[in-house]
Amino acid sequence: MNKTEEILSTANKLRWEVGENFHDSILESIYKDASEISEKVVTRIGEKPKFDLDRFIDRIVTGRWTGFPIMFLLLALVFWLTIIGANIPSSWISYILVDTLHPLLKNFMNSIQIPFWITGLLIDGAYLAAAWVISVMLPPMAIFFPMFTLLEDFGYLPRVAFNMDNLYRRVGAHGKQALTMSMGFGCNAAGVIATRIIDSPRERIIAIITNNFSLCNGRWPTQILIATIFIGGTVPAYLAGIASAGAVVAIAILGVLFSLIVSWGLSKSVLKGEASAFSLELPPYRPPRLLQTLYTSLIDRTIFVLWRAVVFAVPAGIVIWLVANVNIGGISLAEYFIRGVDPFAFFIGLNGVIILAYVIAIPANEIVIPTVLMLTVLSTKMTLGAGAGVMFELDSTAATANILHAGGWTVLTGINLMLFSLLHNPCSTTIYTIYKETKSIKWTMISTFLPIAMGLIICFFFTQIWRLIAG
Amino acid sequence: MNPLTSLIAGIVFIVALLIVFLPGVGIIARWKRIRKDRSRELIEDALKHLYDCEYTSVDCSLNSISGSLSLSGEKTAQVISSLESMNLITSHENKISLTPEGRSYALRIIRIHRLWERHLADNTSVLEKDWHSVAEQREHETSREEADRLAASLGNPLIDPHGDPIPSITGEIPEREGITLNNLENGIFAAIIHIEDEPKEVYAQLSAMGLYPGMQIYLLENSKNKIRFEADGEECLLAPILASNITVVPISEKEHVKEKFQSLSSLKMDQSAMIVGISKAMRGQQRRRLLDFGVVPGTIVKAQLESLSGDPTGYEIRGATIALRRNQSDLIYIKQVD
Repeated sequence: MNKTEEILSTANKLRWEVGENFHDSILESIYKDASEISEKVVTRIGEKPKFDLDRFIDRIVTGRWTGFPIMFLLLALVFWLTIIGANIPSSWISYILVDTLHPLLKNFMNSIQIPFWITGLLIDGAYLAAAWVISVMLPPMAIFFPMFTLLEDFGYLPRVAFNMDNLYRRVGAHGKQALTMSMGFGCNAAGVIATRIIDSPRERIIAIITNNFSLCNGRWPTQILIATIFIGGTVPAYLAGIASAGAVVAIAILGVLFSLIVSWGLSKSVLKGEASAFSLELPPYRPPRLLQTLYTSLIDRTIFVLWRAVVFAVPAGIVIWLVANVNIGGISLAEYFIRGVDPFAFFIGLNGVIILAYVIAIPANEIVIPTVLMLTVLSTKMTLGAGAGVMFELDSTAATANILHAGGWTVLTGINLMLFSLLHNPCSTTIYTIYKETKSIKWTMISTFLPIAMGLIICFFFTQIWRLIAG
Repeated sequence: MNPLTSLIAGIVFIVALLIVFLPGVGIIARWKRIRKDRSRELIEDALKHLYDCEYTSVDCSLNSISGSLSLSGEKTAQVISSLESMNLITSHENKISLTPEGRSYALRIIRIHRLWERHLADNTSVLEKDWHSVAEQREHETSREEADRLAASLGNPLIDPHGDPIPSITGEIPEREGITLNNLENGIFAAIIHIEDEPKEVYAQLSAMGLYPGMQIYLLENSKNKIRFEADGEECLLAPILASNITVVPISEKEHVKEKFQSLSSLKMDQSAMIVGISKAMRGQQRRRLLDFGVVPGTIVKAQLESLSGDPTGYEIRGATIALRRNQSDLIYIKQVD
């Protein structure tokens, strides 16, 4: 016993003597020994080639005049291929799952005399929501993620982070946030998972919270549809295409601006004290491994995220069907809600239908528009669509516009919906993913309610100013 | 409703929210501050001050206590009498001294304070000028067990970021050594071992000059009204009153390694240099990350790639390309090699 105490007290004394530098000194000597050994035993063959391909590519992609154009062109190409390429498979899947299988299943259920409400809950609610999510979500993700992963595998993406770091440093974030943000344009849940590449705790949380400001592919179709109807409709026909495309791009750029502003605000307030350390490795370029990339991006990213979305879509589908079909005194729950919320929604330039749609379509932004259409038809007693609680979409934009106009929508409603679609809570898949990644209720809550608060405030002020000017 | 009315109502609502909830200055924050019981804080702060006097062998009086706690004389007298009744101090002919219990209580608080400062410096991004005031708050809210856990998670550090020794669990603390900078003679190499963190304004000024414990200096001129010295190759000028807040130990010329060093950020494209050290101002996770990359004395670096906006820069380090921001490469010292 005495001996132990003696050793401990000697150790304590010695600790004072070695000083606080000894960690550095140990590491230094380890490196020194290692490099001495490697000098002795490792033989290097030949000189470095005169023409270094890596350096040559680096000079171009980080060049003052070539860096940004290449970056924008590559990203634009990826988005364009995703949007164009996804249309065809999307309509196939939709044809099979929604247009063909759905009526088949419904007829089958009817033929074996299942009560209508079971059919409604399971087929019109759960099945249809899941089918919708798969048909809209799967094709763009299956195209976007492999392309993105190829760029990553080739070694280009770290150079984007390298180029963008100066901007992100100024707002207290990490250059790699440019990558997770781009990933968020595909899917916010995947973007949140991608923040694992940021190893500094503070910058990672910033990237997670602001990922929702990237317009995900569930929101692009909403933006495009509403812009075509309401923005394209206000200008002469030959300008309609350009005006509506411009409006959608403006919303996306607004999202990027918000992500920078919010990053700055967070790093100056709630996240001021969190640990922060910058590191960025620029790996050598290498030919991408096609098959492996396809496999990992399809399995790890696409299927993984899609599965989570489907799991959340099923209960939401049931809720959507229920609110439209449970009646009290001849009026459905949905109508009660819509009427109750309408006066409040008026102040933010929206309407009860939109608010209800955003509440019950929380699992996926993809089903917001079908839900809005169903609810509009329900609340205006039109004889369109497929019945109460059955989401639908119309092939023609003009027909969709007619429904919305009948629902009392104006240009102001359209613009506010575009703003609100950008600035509202992340879908439940993303919220769940944020919780999984941060293991913190606090950050999950902030990521959920911060954008919604911003959306309400911005829609409110935009509406009042619009009404003031428009008279 | 008229849009103008709602617009004004909206603005009023948001301003009202801010007034109530704004952290630090909002009504809720103020209310919390008022509600807080300050008596324990005052007792602990008084004990710390008394211990400090003892450590630096200065006599302590009621006046110096009321000065350091910024309390009225009357309030201070109350604090002192309650300290006496708790048997933590004894006063004898106007001279106040600590009892053994009082000393061990004071050491415990000092330990917690310095542990927090170490933690803030290593594991958070709290600004250097705020370490002291944040630790000043937390030292009163931390139990002994929490402090021991904190110490263990920090690897039982010995020295706080200002160079003060951290008392051990049993309350041991080494003797004070070194002399203050204003007493150093001309032409002597010395190392800074401590920078006093109070008063705050002086500390802010010293840390803004880039002085830190562990830095090696060379005294050029020590006269009545100014002290001129070289620190990491840069010439600094201090008033003696400021220099008295810096404690140094003379070192032999042999140990003196930091002759005029360049920082890595001054390395031009495609040039190579040898790393000679990382500044002490690079701490915690960031420092460990650099060491992992092989940024240790003796490593050859080459500036390889400039980002299109000029910052960060890619350096070739041990065969890999590592991007470093300018505020990092400023803190890495290099030496030209052939």
